[in-house]
Amino acid sequence: MRAPAPAWAASLNEATIEAARGAIGAALTDAVEVAGEVQLHVTRDGLVAAMTALRDTPGLEYQQLMEIAGVDYPDRAERFEVVYCLLSLTRNHRLHVHVPATEDAAVPSVTGLWPVAGWLEREVYDMFGVLFAGNRDLRRILTDYGFRGHPFRKDFPLTGYTELRYSEEQKRVVYEPVKLAQDFRTFDFMSPWEGAEYVLPGDEKAKLPEAKGAPSPVTATEVQKADAAQAAKAAPEAPSQPYAKKDAQSTAQTGAGRSESEGAPKPADPDVVPTKGQGQNQ
Amino acid sequence: MSETLTQNEHAIDPALAKIAHVTDADHPEAGDVAIQNYTINFGPQHPAAHGVLRLVMELDGEIVERIDPHVGLLHRGTEKLIEYKTYAQAIPYFDRLDYCSPLCMEHSFVLAIEKLLDLEVPVRAQYLRVFFAELTRICNHMLNLGSHVMDVGAMTPNLWLFEIREDCMGFLERASGARMHHNYLRPGGVHQDVPLKLLTDIGDWLDTRLPRLFEDAISLVADNRIFKQRNVDIATVSREDAIAWGFSGPMIRAAGVPWDLRKSQPYDVYAKMDFEVPVGTRGDCYDRFMVRVEEVRQSARIMRQCLNEMPEGPIASLDRKVVPPKRAEMKSSMEALIHHFKLYTEGYHVPAGEVYVATESPKGEFGVYLVSDGSNKPYRCKIRPTAFSHLQAMDFMSRGHMLADTTAILGAMDIVFGECDR
Amino acid sequence: MGVELAHQPSGQGVIAPDQAFFDGLNGELTDKGFLVTSTEELFQWARTGSLWWMTFGLACCAVEMIHVNMPRYDMERFGAAPRASPRQSDVMIVAGTLCNKMAPALRRVYDQMSEPKYVISMGSCANGGGYYHYSYSVVRGCDRIVPVDIYVPGCPPTAEALLYGVMQLQRKIRRAGSIER
Repeated sequence: MRAPAPAWAASLNEATIEAARGAIGAALTDAVEVAGEVQLHVTRDGLVAAMTALRDTPGLEYQQLMEIAGVDYPDRAERFEVVYCLLSLTRNHRLHVHVPATEDAAVPSVTGLWPVAGWLEREVYDMFGVLFAGNRDLRRILTDYGFRGHPFRKDFPLTGYTELRYSEEQKRVVYEPVKLAQDFRTFDFMSPWEGAEYVLPGDEKAKLPEAKGAPSPVTATEVQKADAAQAAKAAPEAPSQPYAKKDAQSTAQTGAGRSESEGAPKPADPDVVPTKGQGQNQ
Repeated sequence: MSETLTQNEHAIDPALAKIAHVTDADHPEAGDVAIQNYTINFGPQHPAAHGVLRLVMELDGEIVERIDPHVGLLHRGTEKLIEYKTYAQAIPYFDRLDYCSPLCMEHSFVLAIEKLLDLEVPVRAQYLRVFFAELTRICNHMLNLGSHVMDVGAMTPNLWLFEIREDCMGFLERASGARMHHNYLRPGGVHQDVPLKLLTDIGDWLDTRLPRLFEDAISLVADNRIFKQRNVDIATVSREDAIAWGFSGPMIRAAGVPWDLRKSQPYDVYAKMDFEVPVGTRGDCYDRFMVRVEEVRQSARIMRQCLNEMPEGPIASLDRKVVPPKRAEMKSSMEALIHHFKLYTEGYHVPAGEVYVATESPKGEFGVYLVSDGSNKPYRCKIRPTAFSHLQAMDFMSRGHMLADTTAILGAMDIVFGECDR
Repeated sequence: MGVELAHQPSGQGVIAPDQAFFDGLNGELTDKGFLVTSTEELFQWARTGSLWWMTFGLACCAVEMIHVNMPRYDMERFGAAPRASPRQSDVMIVAGTLCNKMAPALRRVYDQMSEPKYVISMGSCANGGGYYHYSYSVVRGCDRIVPVDIYVPGCPPTAEALLYGVMQLQRKIRRAGSIER
C-alpha cells in the first residue's frame, strides 16, 4: 500500500479471517478483504454470538466498538447494511462486521457487550429506521423533536419536507412545506456523446419541423405602436414611490423609514453620505 | 448555576410542599420533610455547555442522580450533504465538524480517500500535514484547557491561552488563507507550499512565545488548590469502563491506557516522530487536564522535529488524475488545462470499496467510514465523532457528583457539537 | 498577520481626537457643573456605549465570537460585554448554523430579552444557510426566526469582521434610534 494511511497490523488480515471462521462458524456468510480491511458478513441472528466471539476469543480480542454505521442500498432485497467497526487494542487490528437489515427485521442489539452501542444504535435507527431488538432506549437522537422520516435513506430528499419560520400571527415557530428560492443543482458530468439519457436543453428544437416560408415584414405603424406601448409600461406609477414597499418586520426598516418621511434632519454621520434619491441604503 | 430556559413543572409541587412542611402521607415521621428528586434542564443555551448541549438532569438536592444528554441541536446533515458533493467539495465540511481543530478533521478524510485511491503522497507534504496537524492540536487544546479552567472558576489563564490561539490562527492563515476553516489538505498532499519565513516564524514562536505564555498560564492552575479541589477525583473512569465505552484520545489515556493512534497506528510521517504519550493514573478530570497539558508540550516537540527534518520537494502528488496542476503549468500546457477543468468540475473518480480510517484528532479517535461506488461522489460517508461515546458516558461519570461538577466533567471531556451532531 | 511582538504606530492613518471639542466640553462642565444635551442623544449614547451581547454561540462562528472578546481584539473597549442571560442583554449575536431543533430555543431566548433589542446575524449559515443551505435540518437564515439588524458575512467572519459589525450596529442605533423605537 502506497497511501500514508494509518498503519495498523494489516498483516494479520489473513490470520484474522481464518480465526474468525473458526470462532463464528455458520453465522459467518462471507469474509473478504477489501482495500486492505477485513469485512466479515454475519447473519442477523448470529450477530450477538459472533460479536461475543470476536471480543472474547483469544487471538481475536476486539475490545472496542468504535462505530456503527448504517448504509442504504435501495436495490438490495435487504436494503440496509449495518456496519460495526471494531478495534483490537492488544493486536492493533481493525475489522468491520456487516449485517444486513430491513425496515421490519430488527437487528439484535449489542448494548449488552458494549454499552457504547446504545447511542450508536439510536443514531442508526434515527437515520435509517433500522430497529434494534434489545436496545432499551431506542429514541431518536440527532433529528428534530417530532421529526418524521429517516433522513439518510437514499429516497429521502436532501432538503427534507418541512422548514421552519416564526409566525407573527401564532407567536411561535411553525413548520411549513419546503419552498426553495433556488433549487439544488446537481450535475452528472455525463458526456452527451457517451451515454446521457436525457435531451440537453435546446436540443428538443432540433426535432421540430421548420416553419414554411419566411415571416412577413412588419410595417412602420406597427413599430410605432409597439414603442408607445413599451414606453407607457416603463414609466413608474408614482414618482414618489420608485420601489414597492415591503412589509417591514425588522426594526431597521421601521426606524429608518420614519425619520425620512417626516423630513427630520438626520444626525451627522461622516460614514453616511445622504443622497437625494431614496436608495435602498437609506 | 442558572438554568436559562425551562424549569421543570414537576419541581413546583414538592417545593411548595416543602415550604409548607408537608410530610408524605404514606410515611409520616415526626419532624421529617418529604423530599423528592427534581429535574432541571441545562441548556441548550448555556455558557458552560460548550455549544448547544441540553442536559436533562435529575437531582437529589445537589447530587446528580441521572443525566440524559439531548444532542442533535446542531445536526446539520453533513453526511447527507457529502453524498451530494464531489470529494473535493466535501473537504470543507470536515473543517466545520470540529471547528476547534479543523485540520485534523480533514486529515482523516483525505487519508481515507488516499487509501481507496492508493495514492502516494510526497514526503514534504506528509511533513507539512503532520506539522500543521500538531499546530492545530495546540490550538485546540488552548481552547479546551482555557474553557475548562474558566468553567471551574479561573479567568486569567484563559486570556493567555487565547493569545496563543490567536498566534496559531495567524500562522494557519498564512499557510492556508483562512483563520479557521483552512481547507488546506488535499488527497495527494496539501493545497499549497508554505514560505520559509512562515516556518522560521513558527520556529521562533515555538521557542519563545509558546512556552512563556503556556507555562505561565498553566502554572496558575496546575498546582492551584481550588483547581485541584474541583477536579481531582471527579468522574473517575476505570480502564475497563474506558474501553467498554469506546473512549479514545486523552480520555482513554487519562484512564491509564497508553493508546495513541499516532504511536500505534502511525499515519503520514508520525512513525518517524519522536514523542512521548502521556498517561494518567487515576482517570479523573485532573488527569484529563494534565494529559492535554503534556500533549501540548509533545506537539511542540513534534513540530520542532518537523522543522528540522522537513525536506524540499513537491507538496502534492504528481498524479494529474487526482491533483490539479499548478497555474503556471496551465498557461503553457493544454493537457494541464484540461486536467484542471475536469478536476474542478467533475472531480476524480474513486475506486469502489469501503474503508474505515481513523486518526488521532485532539479529542480522540476521529474516524471516517467511507463507502465509494466508483463515482465522483461518496456513496456514504459515516463520520465517527469522538464526542459521541464520551458524551454518552456523561451519565455514569457524573452520577453521585454535585451539580457544579458537571461543568468540570463536561469541560474535561472536550466536546464540540459541530462534530458530535454533525 | 503574524506574530508581532512590538507594535509600531505609524503616524499616518491615525485620526487625532478633536481637542478643541473636548476642551469646550470640559470647560462647560467645570464652569457650570453640568452638561446639556437632548434626551435623544443621551439615549443613543447610553445604548451604543453599553451593548451587552447575549452569547448565542451555535457553531464555528462561536469560536470567532469568543476570540473577539479575548485580549487581542477585546470588544469590551466598545462597551460590548458578554452576558449569559437574555434578561440582561441588549444584542444577540447569532453565531453559527441555526438548526431546526434549536430554532424554538433561539426564539425563546430572543423573546426573553428586554427592549430595545438588536440581533446580529454572524456568518453565512446564520445569514442564509450558507454551506448547509440545502440540508433538511437547517433553518435557511436566522431571519426566518428573529428580525435581524446587522448581517456579518463570512464563513466564519473573522473577529475583526464581527467587531466591525458591532460598530455598524452602534452606527445604526445612532442613526435610527428614537425613544419609542
